[in-house]
Amino acid sequence: MTTVLKTEDLRKQFGELTAVDGVSIEIDDSEITSIIGPNGAGKTTFYNLLTGVLQPTSGSIWLRDDGEGGLADITDAEPHEVAQAGLSRSYQITNVFEGLTVRENVRVARISHEKTRLDFRSRASGDAALEADIEELLELTGLTDIADTSCDTLSHGEKRTVEIALALAIEPDVFLMDEPTAGMNPTEVTEIVSLIRELDADLDATFVVTEHNMDVVTDISDRIVVLAEGAILADGTPEDVLNDERVTEAYLGSDSV
Amino acid sequence: MSATTTAGGRVREFVSAAADGWTRERFGVLGALGLILLAFGPSFQVYLFTDFLVVALFALGFNLLYGYTGLLSFGHGLFYAGGAYGVAIVLRDLGPVFADIVGSGISPLLTFVVGGVVGLALVVGVAVPVGWLSVRLEEIYFALITLAFGMLGYSLIIQDPAGLTNGTDGIIVLLGSVDIGGSSFRIGARRTYYALSVVVVLAATYGAWRVVNSPFGTVCKAIRESPDRASALGIDVRHHRWMTFILSAAIVGIAGVLRAGLAGVASPGLTHWSTSAIAVIATVIGGATYFSGPIVGAFVFLYIRWAISRFPTLEAYWELFFGALLIAVVLYFKQGTVGGLLLLRDRLLGDDGDGGETDAGGDGEAPDGDGDSGGAGATVPDDETRTDRGDDS
Amino acid sequence: MSLPSLVPLIGVADVVIGLSLGSRLFLIAVGLSLIFGVLGVLNFAHGGFYMLGAYVTLAVVTGLIDNFWIAAVAGALAVGVVGATIEFAAIRPLYDRVDADLDQLIVTFGFVLVIHEAVRFIWGSGSYSIDPPDVFNFSVSLGGSTFSAYRLVVIGLAIAVLAGLWLFITRTYFGSLVRGTSSDREMASMLGVDVPRLYTGVFFLGSVLAGLGGALSAPLQSTSPALGDQVIIDAFIVVVIGGLGSMSGAFVGAMLIGMMQSLGPQFISAGSIAIPFLAMVIVLLFRPEGLFGGIGE
Repeated sequence: MTTVLKTEDLRKQFGELTAVDGVSIEIDDSEITSIIGPNGAGKTTFYNLLTGVLQPTSGSIWLRDDGEGGLADITDAEPHEVAQAGLSRSYQITNVFEGLTVRENVRVARISHEKTRLDFRSRASGDAALEADIEELLELTGLTDIADTSCDTLSHGEKRTVEIALALAIEPDVFLMDEPTAGMNPTEVTEIVSLIRELDADLDATFVVTEHNMDVVTDISDRIVVLAEGAILADGTPEDVLNDERVTEAYLGSDSV
Repeated sequence: MSATTTAGGRVREFVSAAADGWTRERFGVLGALGLILLAFGPSFQVYLFTDFLVVALFALGFNLLYGYTGLLSFGHGLFYAGGAYGVAIVLRDLGPVFADIVGSGISPLLTFVVGGVVGLALVVGVAVPVGWLSVRLEEIYFALITLAFGMLGYSLIIQDPAGLTNGTDGIIVLLGSVDIGGSSFRIGARRTYYALSVVVVLAATYGAWRVVNSPFGTVCKAIRESPDRASALGIDVRHHRWMTFILSAAIVGIAGVLRAGLAGVASPGLTHWSTSAIAVIATVIGGATYFSGPIVGAFVFLYIRWAISRFPTLEAYWELFFGALLIAVVLYFKQGTVGGLLLLRDRLLGDDGDGGETDAGGDGEAPDGDGDSGGAGATVPDDETRTDRGDDS
Repeated sequence: MSLPSLVPLIGVADVVIGLSLGSRLFLIAVGLSLIFGVLGVLNFAHGGFYMLGAYVTLAVVTGLIDNFWIAAVAGALAVGVVGATIEFAAIRPLYDRVDADLDQLIVTFGFVLVIHEAVRFIWGSGSYSIDPPDVFNFSVSLGGSTFSAYRLVVIGLAIAVLAGLWLFITRTYFGSLVRGTSSDREMASMLGVDVPRLYTGVFFLGSVLAGLGGALSAPLQSTSPALGDQVIIDAFIVVVIGGLGSMSGAFVGAMLIGMMQSLGPQFISAGSIAIPFLAMVIVLLFRPEGLFGGIGE
């Protein structure tokens, strides 16, 4: 039981609107945590704060520090610094390097992780160790067969998987997945859920997931955090949370899913 | 219908037979042979080809930034001029000094080389701060700030507050004659300068090609595709763009040094946005997503302009043609000439299916493949180098 | 006269010339800014539009009807039609591209070349000039200096255009659509605004203004094919300083640059032509939204 990610009274104002309203949360490395909530509850803003895309109005963000096991303040870090510190993400709308092949996508991430991005003299594909890592990751995510296909020709589900491979390639402590099953057909959903389970078992990364699909949420989560109007409404095991009346109300009372 | 298919089939057979065994080495040898033969061609053709080489390098440097990181600069003329003025000032002010030190026989060449290095250093010195500031902006705003920097340079060169640039007239570049062991030659002679340009441009192009296929270049391509994604993977996008900016400026600076010697003058017009636009035109027409795009584009630009100039009635209106071509390429065929050539080759070779991509997919595993292809490592670049051969013919 | 010694140095004529230069710049820049604010397109060909306006006016005055005002309206409308056609045929297909901004910039740059050459083809490389319309073709003497009365007319018209545009954008139904679309295109589209048509309409309006600028300036300058390239850079400076998308910003920016062009050489000798570009760089870095107001103001 160690905390890998922590926020303290995190707040984000957009003019008059308070999108995230004093969220304090501790993510434990032993569980898969799902963050759910009705549309407009502030989930994506929360993710953008965590990853440095947005700067919080107040509050702080802490991430596990590799050295001592303590926590490092990443509140003011820029997105690339957050990623380097060990927080990785996938996007709600798939965001991969469209014009590159799957292998090249993963190679970019590995180059970033190995900090060889400023090496302009050697061949990008000339590093045998790096290529072996790429190969391993492709296998792990089941992308080997389409490794040399350009991403702009992939299906939606395949792109999702590429996103996961990218996020994992930088060996994160925490992996934030934003709606991993959005826009997928049932078969693809089943596949991605079993992939998430496998990866969670195989890797050190701690998974944090936002999700609309409640079947997926109950299936994979050890813990569920409910956000409503930017604040934490409920937090606990799936059973507790789903039986909580306030949660039902929040969903039915607003834009029901 | 069947008749055409047979004819098409025959053409395809013929072409694939002809294409069979055209390895990188053979193309290299053929290209080298072509370059050597050209040195004995008509004087004007030698000049035109040298002109092409210089513009190609200019556009290639520009495209490192545009095609590889997605930043469109309208101010790269600044670095073109930087190289030109650097060498011109050294030749003007230090020529006699060098002659005193090393003797007048070799000094013109030495001065030119030193001038080139000074020009390059000057360009890098300017590009470091200008790039650092410019990469803070993106898209249209980046285009505008580079345009402003270019025109700022233009204003300063024209007004010449430091008394270095000789205002609107520019600086005459006299390359002089080298005299070693009884034999002498003029550096500025068309064939000599052609040889010099070939060596410099090939070396710089090779350097750029290595960069593009390095880890650094791979990250550039990723940034072009999605800057957000790249930074979410831990890449400092701004810093990477800054580095690319400097590299891009340096290559353009080398082209500028060559331009000064070729034109015999370093003129303020080189910094003007309309000069920067030449790189844009050549690159877009050639195909910005290909390494060889700007090279092929420069070829098309200079040779079509030359072809148009053969018709006195059309001569005055060559810009019209390129304006229209530019519009058409952006609207209908963004892969440009290189993309078109690839498509044509695939048709002729009968590679059915997914057009331009076939190749990239096809030899993705090339390193362990057929031993004849000189160890094509990366996937896409191999695709591109093939088209490089196209412009030697 | 016990005025400070600086005043005679400046001279009323210099100020009037500066303001009239600013007025013509405003007419180009405001259209450029409007188009960028609503469509997100930086129209490189806008200087070409201005030049075209001047040429058409000249052609009508010298060849068809000897009435400057009719010719100016004809020039402005002709440019509007050219602009709308270009938007429809060459810019509209690009809105949905990932790198739409840059593609559109490059396409409009293509039109810089095309318009330049077309003008040369039709009217030749020489330069033309005409007299101001007869009513205003006299000199005004003020504070010891003289200037053409027509300059005052141009200044007045520029102010009228600013006021008219402001009323149009803030008080009319079409104006509210323009404002709505500029702040959120998708929302406007969902609410039933015919966005493509609105875009063409705004492009038409912006082009008309550029054409009008050219037409009104025809008596003040010599018109040659190089004109478009010269003014577009000034217009870029103006819209950046004033704020891309801002109409009042375009006005203030244009007057600033106009005054600088008129007065600058007297005060700052070396480096004076560099100053606007330096200002452009500084504004882009520190206040990319411009010095005055935001979108639609």
